[in-house]
Amino acid sequence: MIWIAIVGSALATYLTRSLPLALTVGGRVPPVARRYLEALPVAIIAALVGPAVVAPGGTLTRGSEPLAAALVITVVAWRRSLLAGVIAGVVAVALLRLI
Amino acid sequence: MGEGWPVMGTTLLVGTTFGVVARQSGLEPVEIIAMSLLVFAGASQFAMVQLFSQAAPTPVVIASVLFINLRHLLMATSLRPQLQRLSVGRRLFAAFFLTDESFAMGTGHFRRGGRSLAYYFTFAIALFLLWNVATVIGIVVGAAIGDPRRLGVDFAITATFIGIVVLAIRHRADFIIAIVAALVAGALALAGASTVAVITAGALAPLIAVFLRR
Repeated sequence: MIWIAIVGSALATYLTRSLPLALTVGGRVPPVARRYLEALPVAIIAALVGPAVVAPGGTLTRGSEPLAAALVITVVAWRRSLLAGVIAGVVAVALLRLI
Repeated sequence: MGEGWPVMGTTLLVGTTFGVVARQSGLEPVEIIAMSLLVFAGASQFAMVQLFSQAAPTPVVIASVLFINLRHLLMATSLRPQLQRLSVGRRLFAAFFLTDESFAMGTGHFRRGGRSLAYYFTFAIALFLLWNVATVIGIVVGAAIGDPRRLGVDFAITATFIGIVVLAIRHRADFIIAIVAALVAGALALAGASTVAVITAGALAPLIAVFLRR
């Protein structure tokens, strides 16, 4: 099943990369569709965050993950560095789970 | 090509992180390597690892990846004038290496008046090689770390997603969409609909953009 998901995901990804380059017909993307498509990646990635923070591993959080998530937001917004945020978040969650 | 070093450094770090978290989640090395070779899309691969660990059904995994990557349609459309002079075969080859990073660097080059496609190809293929080398490094490192929960390593994916979202927010609408998507998905997961939570919240929240920014 994992292999079907990997190959299927690879095909889906390649389709989005190649379709506009393979087709020779012209035409512009309507503004409404453009706005929707531009907002999609952030929405999907944010949607992945929600369940992982409130219910990590399928059970209700005991508070470590929401606190660590708030720290990651603060660090990334302040330092503009993904790596600094990830390190801060991982260290914070490890320490909070000890409590 | 000098301006590409920060992007290459980031690719190496994120690729290594991917290898670590994918290995920690229990995926086999050959599956992880196949993901980096065939899918070659950072956010999607992290999302796949998370969905696999929640035992999400295969169609949900593929649909989530498709939605995350729909933005490539816009990027490929915008690169079309530059790539139009290539044969269809070469355009399809170029398409495989289209990422946020290669698009950004290529577009920067063309906007500065550059005409050479060698710039795009060199950079895009270098990123592909780097991403795959980094994945293998991460797999090796990941196997050495041991129990992920003890060190908080399982939180690395979530922290990466949060960072990507924070850095991607440009307008008030982005901010509102991100909050709504995260809250709706979290609520759905708590309500027991965890397999469809991400795709539902992720596909609905962008509708806000359609209405909010006129």
